[in-house]
Amino acid sequence: MQVRFPITVCALVVCAVQSSFSVAADFDKDVLPILQRRCVACHGPDDINGNVRLDTLSTNLVKDSAAAETWHDVLNVLNLGEMPPEDETPLTAKERDVLAGWITEQIEHAVRVRRSTGGQVVIRRLNRTEYRNTMRDLLGLDLKYGPNLLPDSPGEDGFTNNGSSLGMSALQLESYLESARSALSRAIVTYDKPVVVDAVATETTTDKVKGNWTSILGRSGTFVFRSTEFPDEGDFLIRVRARAILPDNAPYPQLRAVLGYRADTQTPSEEVGILEVTSEEFQDYEFRGRLETFPIQSRSQSKYPGLLIWLDNAYSDGKPPLKPRQEVIEEPKAESSDAVVSKNEKKAKPKKPKTRTVYPLDPSFPKIEIESVSFKAPVFESWPPAHHTRILFSSDLADRDPVAYAREVLARFMRRAFRRPVATDEVDMMLAYFQEVRPTFASFEEAMRETLAMVLVSPDFLYLVEPSSGKSRTLTDHELASRLSYFLWSSMPDDRLFELADSGQLRDSKKQSAEVDRLLDDPRSWNFVEQFSDQWLDLSGMNRVAVNPEYYPTFRNELKPHMQRETQQFFNEVLRSDVSSLAFLDSDFAMLNQPMAEHYGLSGPRGIEFERVTLTKDQQRGGLLAQASVLLTNSTGEDSHAILRGVWIRKRLLDDPPAPPPPNVPNLDQQDRDTASLPLKEQLKEHRENEACARCHRSIDPWGIALEEFDAVGLLRDRIQRKSGKKMLEFDVDAKATLPGGHEVDGLDELKTHLLTEKREQFARTLVSKLLSYALGRSLELSDHETIDRLTDQFIASDYRLKNLIQLIVASDAFRTK
Amino acid sequence: MKSWQLDRRTLLQGVGVSLALPMLNCMGSEASQTTRPKRFCAAYFPYGSVFQSGNSEFANWNWTPTGDGSDFKFGEIHRSMEPLRNDLTMIEGLSHPNGRSMGGHDTADIWLTGSKLTGSRMKNTMSLDQIVAGHHADQTRYSSLVMSTDGGVGEPTRSSTLSYNRNGQPIPAQNKPRVVFDRLFGVTSDSVDSQRSDLLRTGSMLDRVLEHSRAVRRKLGQHDQKKFDEYLASVRQIEKGVERSKQWLEIPKPRVDEVGLSLDADDSTPQELIQTMYDLMFLAFQTDSTRVATYQLGNMNGATSIAGKFPQLLGLGKNMHTLAHGGAKGKGGEELGKWHQFLADQMARFLTRLKSTEEGDGTLLDHTIVLYGSSNSQTHRNANYPLMLAGGHKLGLKHGQLIKSDEQTPLSNVYVTVLNQLDINSDSFADSTGSMDELRV
Repeated sequence: MQVRFPITVCALVVCAVQSSFSVAADFDKDVLPILQRRCVACHGPDDINGNVRLDTLSTNLVKDSAAAETWHDVLNVLNLGEMPPEDETPLTAKERDVLAGWITEQIEHAVRVRRSTGGQVVIRRLNRTEYRNTMRDLLGLDLKYGPNLLPDSPGEDGFTNNGSSLGMSALQLESYLESARSALSRAIVTYDKPVVVDAVATETTTDKVKGNWTSILGRSGTFVFRSTEFPDEGDFLIRVRARAILPDNAPYPQLRAVLGYRADTQTPSEEVGILEVTSEEFQDYEFRGRLETFPIQSRSQSKYPGLLIWLDNAYSDGKPPLKPRQEVIEEPKAESSDAVVSKNEKKAKPKKPKTRTVYPLDPSFPKIEIESVSFKAPVFESWPPAHHTRILFSSDLADRDPVAYAREVLARFMRRAFRRPVATDEVDMMLAYFQEVRPTFASFEEAMRETLAMVLVSPDFLYLVEPSSGKSRTLTDHELASRLSYFLWSSMPDDRLFELADSGQLRDSKKQSAEVDRLLDDPRSWNFVEQFSDQWLDLSGMNRVAVNPEYYPTFRNELKPHMQRETQQFFNEVLRSDVSSLAFLDSDFAMLNQPMAEHYGLSGPRGIEFERVTLTKDQQRGGLLAQASVLLTNSTGEDSHAILRGVWIRKRLLDDPPAPPPPNVPNLDQQDRDTASLPLKEQLKEHRENEACARCHRSIDPWGIALEEFDAVGLLRDRIQRKSGKKMLEFDVDAKATLPGGHEVDGLDELKTHLLTEKREQFARTLVSKLLSYALGRSLELSDHETIDRLTDQFIASDYRLKNLIQLIVASDAFRTK
Repeated sequence: MKSWQLDRRTLLQGVGVSLALPMLNCMGSEASQTTRPKRFCAAYFPYGSVFQSGNSEFANWNWTPTGDGSDFKFGEIHRSMEPLRNDLTMIEGLSHPNGRSMGGHDTADIWLTGSKLTGSRMKNTMSLDQIVAGHHADQTRYSSLVMSTDGGVGEPTRSSTLSYNRNGQPIPAQNKPRVVFDRLFGVTSDSVDSQRSDLLRTGSMLDRVLEHSRAVRRKLGQHDQKKFDEYLASVRQIEKGVERSKQWLEIPKPRVDEVGLSLDADDSTPQELIQTMYDLMFLAFQTDSTRVATYQLGNMNGATSIAGKFPQLLGLGKNMHTLAHGGAKGKGGEELGKWHQFLADQMARFLTRLKSTEEGDGTLLDHTIVLYGSSNSQTHRNANYPLMLAGGHKLGLKHGQLIKSDEQTPLSNVYVTVLNQLDINSDSFADSTGSMDELRV
């Protein structure tokens, strides 16, 4: 869902008295005298207007929540200028500042105290990503687990692995049970080795409607493969023998496979994948998936039976295909006799020649030529498949003593599912259920599926359980293994981590450090890169922004995933190449693929894979702030949004989020003509000139104004366009800003220099805090400051290297204790 | 909670979640405090009906009555509805806005959901009847009775069912009277046995999980215990639902004589089949075996629907789809009209049975809201659905009127009113913009 102007902006209206920057006030010395002087006459012993009495209101907002509510109301009326009433002298700026400052600080303190968990990690449910990964690794089967699970709401830092925010409901638990039963019915098979469908085609068939069915996939054209035979479940393999037809300097064509079926006029289907075709020689390209995770025909009531695979070229430069033309394949037959002609002369219409539709190919467009397509399903290496025998291992015990066998099956499975050794009585509990339900099922396998489903809805599986008596304690080896694997893989520990935990070696600092390296080298660590960078930098935020085609006629929404990936790849590169994390502020390289390089107007790779591209100084694409993902997320989809960009920098790079806007602030109304016809700095005039606004905005807006050279989709611009009514207005780019502290910057380059020279330590501290919060799965508290300080010093001392920071965090007490 | 506790980012990020909430509220199954059962029933026919111009020679075959308000006159199609005119409201001009941009034959799926089937997955949302069923489920043995002529679920955009669960997945429809009868009133069948053991198993599993979880809780620190209580509460809530379902296993089914029911009717005898399906709905309501029923008289899969041939079998000349295509012009209106007259006769018979059965201070019909109609006007046109809302006098519905509305009002507004009259305090459904107050007393 995309919202056009999703952000309420504190702009243009005189209202804000926020004071997170003012010096802390003392109640008796500073605050009370103002109250006595200005408020108590109406809200005191003589007169209790509105039932609010201020001279005796408790100042302990932590203990007295009713008082906290009242103070909050007081703050609101101050912010809105409702008090003192109109006929009274208004408060001086200083009086307001002191009052609002003290109240804000007290409220923030009370919130922190109430939320505090004493610096302990709260019992944490696996979030949706972790659940899916864990199921996949536990069962050895890549299904779309828990399709009905609700999305997880992020914690206050934006991370979705925050134990306090991960809730549980009956609905959620029912989804887990449903998911467990359905997954186990696939993991454990109850039928004999199935017949394998293996079909090949060298020519396209036709889909129902007219179309460009062909073996040459260019701007248009689809190769259709139909298999009337197909199983209902199991792995499938689509093998396409194809080559690229590559004009000079053209990007690589992309072979896309889509699987589904025809339901009358509709085609329920889903993409299997996209593979880049880079060779001009014929080669095999393989697509794999699980049939039951795709739309599959129910085999009844169908007019068009069969499974369909559509292959086309996903590369696009945004231009439409050339228009098809009619080609004569047969001239009309000559008339047989003159007599007939003369007889019907008046009525005779000229006969039309037989034609066919020809779809011309664009010679400059990269194409794919398909030689053959094969479809094979179900694909398995052995029968029963490995995911079956991993649970129901082969043993003569199975026949000799089924109960003993069941116990062993459960013990092995539970140990992996619970990520720790299991006690005999825990196995007994599951075994009792197995024995109870065994007579109600026809087979051992079915009863075992049901029993294992119970394992998979147990709290020991769904939560990272770390028992505690309330006092801080060192984690066990197995708890440590889980913390490591969920931090760096978003999944359960693998066999090696289990072994190290079993033998008590994981706590050895050298072993642990080696394990961190190993986990980071494993492809599963992409989960860490993706999840952390996405949530730290709010990359998915771009999905809240709709790009207006009136402003950006050539922009295509398909670019958004590439933008997101660019920043993830950039994070990945900083991590892998072990360079200084200051690269996030500025770098001499960018991570680009063909679509992104084209977007930026840079030369880069030929395909969709991202590569490291060295930047020259004038190319302006170094660091996060020059990346389209960040710039688009903090835009309106039509223009830049200086305030959002400023808030983003403060929040994400400097860990200094501005106070939330006070209530009842109207939106910056983009539709208002008077406003729309002004250049940005004029629009933001109130923010500077009105002292109440300026208090906050002088330290927000300039950060964003410095990025004014970049438009909504992240491209450099000379002129700013804005629509007003039917007119398109133009403004000069003005990226001159005075940052807090009086630093003058003009544009991104100078902003980067400022960040690198003046703010590098603050940035380091930010990265430390974010990473620590993500690693622990909890919000950080006052008690963590010492840890953060220490880690920051060490991080800076080790040249800001991210891998080193991960090692430092993992070795910290915060990570190793409950 | 005051705004200062949530910053704006959090509010924004929470949007996806909070959108789901109204839906969750509907799914709560707290016992509704009513003296009499409150029921809902929906019957659907494909391809719309007759909508010729008022000047047409065959305008007397139009679905929509002439006149306005309480002063309206039925056409030929609804002649058998005349004795029931004070028990029903004819509604003109409504449709699902989402459906208007979908294919001409694609909208049966969304008649009760109001969704837009888009993307390649074509995922639907929960249907009106299932929301009602979720709310009243614990009162009856079956939460709902889902029937159609074609049976099963069909294909997306050619569905053979009107009902969709909370995940938007189609609920397979029953199409064999005998099977429906056995399920409702039969002694036992395999499916009941397996349902019983599923319930018993799930109940036992939850017991054990709960016991184990209490042991887990004891080992947790104070903060963790507080958080973990969410899990325990969830287990207990599911368990309660299972318990309620289990209770029905102990209660014998109502005894219903099958004399007079054509339980072996099939698609070769349309009249017997349709009457029997309505009879089964009537019996299910009368015995309070369920409070929700849906019945799709035919799907819009012209090529494969077994209902397509019904008009031919009844001597009306052409198949359903061909009749529908011809209905827009001239005498085609009469030909199509006769098929709709037949359908209306069956509906009138059903309504009359409900009306002639006393229940408390009224009749079965007074406690049942019946929605009857289609998702085309003329075939392929996804606006101005033919719609009739009947019954529910004791549920606060006002009848004996022709309501003229327009495309500005989404059909979902009617559904909001239906939900409200059935004790479901939802102020929205799908794309609704309000409720339909003209329907209320």
